Amino acid sequence: MKAKNNSIRLPERLLISRSYTTSESNKTGSWRYLMPRYYEKTAPCSVACPAAEDIGRIQMLNTQGFFKEAWDTILVENPFPAVCGRICFHPCEKVCNRGRFDEAVSIRALERFVADTAQRYKLTSGIEPMAFTGKRIAVVGAGPAGLAAAHFLHLLGYDCHVFEALPEPGGILRWGLPRYRLPLAALQPEIERIRNSGVSIYCGQAVGRDFLHSAGETYGAVFMACGAQRMPLLRIPGEDLPGISEGLAFLCSVAQGGGPGFQGTAAVIGGGNTAVDVARCLRRLGARAMIIYRRRREDMPAFAEEIELALLEGVELLELYAPIRIEKEGNGLRLTLQQMKIGAMGADGRMRVVPDENRIRELTVDQVFKAIGFEAAEPWHVPEAGAVSHLKLRQAVLTQGANSVPVVYCGDPVTEIQSVVHAVASAKEGAMALHVLLTGGTAAVAETLAAAAVGPGGSLSMEAFLKGERLNRSSHVVAYEEINIDHFQYAPRMIQPRLLQAERVASFAEIDLKISAGMAIREAERCFNCGLCNQCDNCRLFCPDLAVRQEDSKRGRRIDYDYCKGCGICVVECPRNAMVLEEEQDS
Amino acid sequence: MVSGHVGCAGCGAAIAMRFFLQALGNQAIMVMPACCWSIIAGSYPMSSLRIPLIHTAFETGGAVASGVRAALDMKGDTQTTVVTWAGDGGTFDIGFQALSGAVERNEDFIYVCYDNEAYMNTGVQRSSSTPYGAWTTTTPGREWKRMRKKNIVEALVAHRIPYAATASIAYPQDLMAKVAKAKAIKGSRFLHIFASCPTGWRIPSELSVKIARMAVQTNIFPLYEVENGVKYTINLSPKGYLVREYFKLQGRFKHLSDQDLSEIQNMVNEDWNLLLRKAGLPQVQGEHM
Repeated sequence: MKAKNNSIRLPERLLISRSYTTSESNKTGSWRYLMPRYYEKTAPCSVACPAAEDIGRIQMLNTQGFFKEAWDTILVENPFPAVCGRICFHPCEKVCNRGRFDEAVSIRALERFVADTAQRYKLTSGIEPMAFTGKRIAVVGAGPAGLAAAHFLHLLGYDCHVFEALPEPGGILRWGLPRYRLPLAALQPEIERIRNSGVSIYCGQAVGRDFLHSAGETYGAVFMACGAQRMPLLRIPGEDLPGISEGLAFLCSVAQGGGPGFQGTAAVIGGGNTAVDVARCLRRLGARAMIIYRRRREDMPAFAEEIELALLEGVELLELYAPIRIEKEGNGLRLTLQQMKIGAMGADGRMRVVPDENRIRELTVDQVFKAIGFEAAEPWHVPEAGAVSHLKLRQAVLTQGANSVPVVYCGDPVTEIQSVVHAVASAKEGAMALHVLLTGGTAAVAETLAAAAVGPGGSLSMEAFLKGERLNRSSHVVAYEEINIDHFQYAPRMIQPRLLQAERVASFAEIDLKISAGMAIREAERCFNCGLCNQCDNCRLFCPDLAVRQEDSKRGRRIDYDYCKGCGICVVECPRNAMVLEEEQDS
Repeated sequence: MVSGHVGCAGCGAAIAMRFFLQALGNQAIMVMPACCWSIIAGSYPMSSLRIPLIHTAFETGGAVASGVRAALDMKGDTQTTVVTWAGDGGTFDIGFQALSGAVERNEDFIYVCYDNEAYMNTGVQRSSSTPYGAWTTTTPGREWKRMRKKNIVEALVAHRIPYAATASIAYPQDLMAKVAKAKAIKGSRFLHIFASCPTGWRIPSELSVKIARMAVQTNIFPLYEVENGVKYTINLSPKGYLVREYFKLQGRFKHLSDQDLSEIQNMVNEDWNLLLRKAGLPQVQGEHM
C-alpha cells in the first residue's frame, strides 16, 4: 500500500460485481407452449392450373434469374411452356392472390418468357427420367395430348412410339392454331425436345381400329389421343350447300399457307375459340367477318381476351342469333337468323336461350363457316363399352379388355374442357394411372393419384408423383388474408407489348411481342410466392430471442428450440405464410 | 447479443436491441438506468450482451454516460461509442433532468429510449409516455389515462441537439440507417425507438411487430428525424390506416368507445399536421390521413 499513513485502506482493485458468463446457459425454450415451424403450403395458382405447374416456385426462380431451373420446373409438369405461355387461358391468373392486392401476376407471359429464353439459348432439360422399365407403349395421335403422354411416359421410364396420321406432328397446335397466336418457330422446338428425349414419332401412319387388339404383341399398353376433329351437324336446312365449310378445315388450309383470299363477307357460326380464330384469319385474308352466336358474348366458350382482340381487329359479333335456314341467293348465301332471348338459368350454371317470338333477321353473305364444337372422329376414339375394367379418372379413362393390353383414353374426347392445358393434364393423369396399374394393379390407382394431387382441385403433380419436394407441402391453399401484405409494395402488372393494331390484320405475325429479362424479373418479383419460403429472412430478422439460426442447408435457416420462446412473431411476419404456429407437444 | 435473455415472449425491446447493436457494432459501452432491459440482460453473473454494460440508477442515464465519455476522452479513446439505453420511465420521467442536462452540454453520446409506453417490468404503471386512453395498473378501469403522451422528441429538439430521430422495430432498415447516421455524428444524439410490449399492452405476442408497424401506419408514431433542432425529415409516408384498427387489437384500449376513438383520431391528425408543418409539407384533411 502506497498510502501507508492513510487511515483508509483502498482495495487493490475495485469491488464492482461484474458478469463474466453469457446468458446462453439459460435455455428459454422451456418457456414455450406454442411452437413455430417451417411449413410450406399450396399456392392457389398451382391448384387452378390443370397441369399443376409450381408457379410460386417458378416465379421465385425467375426473380433470381434462374431461368433454366424455372424452365425445368415447368417441364416436369407440362412439356409445352412455349405453347401454353402463349395460348393458355390462364385460369391461374384468375385466382392469383396478388389480384386482391393490386393486379394478378402475368403468369402466362412469364411462362412464355422462360420457354423463349430456353429456346433462344438452346437449353437442354436437366430432368432425369426414371430407369427404363423395359416396357414399350404405343401412343395414337401426335397432338398435344399424345405428345404430352409420350413426354410423361418417357419420364416414368417407358419407351414410346407415337403414331400420327398426318405428315407432321403437332395436331391442333400445328394445324388448328393460327400462327399469330402460336408461331411454328415456337412450336417446333417443343416437339423436337420430346423427340430428342428418345420418343419415336411415326408420321403418316394412320392407325385403324384393329390396332387396339393387335397392339399387345408389341406394346405393353396403348394411349388413345386422337383428339376431337369432327364437327357435329347444325341440323338446319341448307347446311351442306356449296360455299359452307368447316372452320377447322379452313384453319388447316390457312396454316399450310393456303387459305382462299377473298374480299367478300363471311359468317362464322359458333362461339368457341375456333370460331374466333376463323373470323380473325378471315380478317387477315381481307374478308369482312361476322361471328353468329346463339347466346351472349359473356357466354361464349372462347377465351375473353381472344374475343376482345378479335373485335379490335374488326370482327363483328352478332349475339343472340341462331341460324335456322341457309339458302342460295345469286352467288351468295342467305342466312335466316332467329333472334334469341335469355331464359332461365340452366343446371350447368349457364343461361338458357329461347327464341324471341317470331323476330327473324336475314343476312346475305358470300361464305359460311361452321365452328360449333368438336367430337371424336371415330367411335373407337372414345372408350368403348364392354371393357372388362373401366376406370374413369378426372381427365382420362383407363380400360382393359379380356385379352388385350390396357388402353388409356386422353385428350379432348374425355376432358372436361377442350384446351391444350387440359390435354396435358389428361395425358399426365393417364400416364400416372397406367404406371400404377402396371406396377401395383388397378386397386392402387385412386390412392396413388390422390397423393399426387395439388390442393383440393384435383390437378396432379408429376413432381409429387415422383416423390419430389412438393410432397412435403401442406395441401392447405393459401388465402389472400393469410398473406402479410405489409411486406409488399403496390406495383402495376406488366403491360404486354403487342403489334400495333393496324399491323395485326396485315399479316399472320405473332401479336404478342417478346419481353426483356429485366421486365420478366420485375413481374416475377410481384409474385407473393404464396406458401413458399423464398428465404426473405424475416423470421430470423425479427426473432427477439435470436433463436432462428443461419445454417448451410437448402432453407438456409433453422429454429433453435433450445431458446425459442414460441412468441410466434416469425410466423406472423412471414410475408407468404410458409410457417405455422402449433401447440407444443408434450415430450 | 445472445440467446437466453429473459425478455418476455415477443418482447419488442429485445428486437430493438438486436437491430441497434447490429448497426452500431461492438465497440461501445452501454449505460443502463433501471428499465426492463436491466432484467432482460440477465441476472448476475450472466449477460446477454457482448459489450460492456453499466447498470445504474434510474435517474442517472445522462449523468453516468457523461462520466464514461469523459473517462474515455482522458484515456484518448475516441473510437468507443457511449450509449445510454433507457426505457420510457427512465427517459420521460425519472431520468429527464439528467438527460436534459447532458444534451444541453451536448455530451458526445447516443441516448436511446426504447419506448414501451409504461413501467413494464415493475408491473405496468403509467408513465408520461403512456398514450391517451390507455389502461395501466395505475390508471385502471374507468380511470384510464386522460393525459396525452409527452412528445419527447420535441423536448429534445428544443435542446437543439445535432440529431434526434424516431424509429420502430417494424422498420429495421430505417432503424439501422438511423443508428449508423447517429454513430457518425459527434455530440448528443437521441433515438426514440418504439418497442411494443405484449405483456403490458395485452396483445398476443405474435402481433408484437405488426402492432409496431400499425403505430407507424396510423401516424400514431411517425418515423422522422430532426437535425440540429431545425431540419425535419419524414422518413415514411404511411398507407393511412385508421387509428381504431390499431386500438382494437390491444387489450389496454378495449374500454374505449367509438366517441373516444374519434377524439383520439383527431388528436393524431392534429399531431401529424403539426409535424407536416415543421417538415414544410402541405397539411392534409379528413379522417383517413
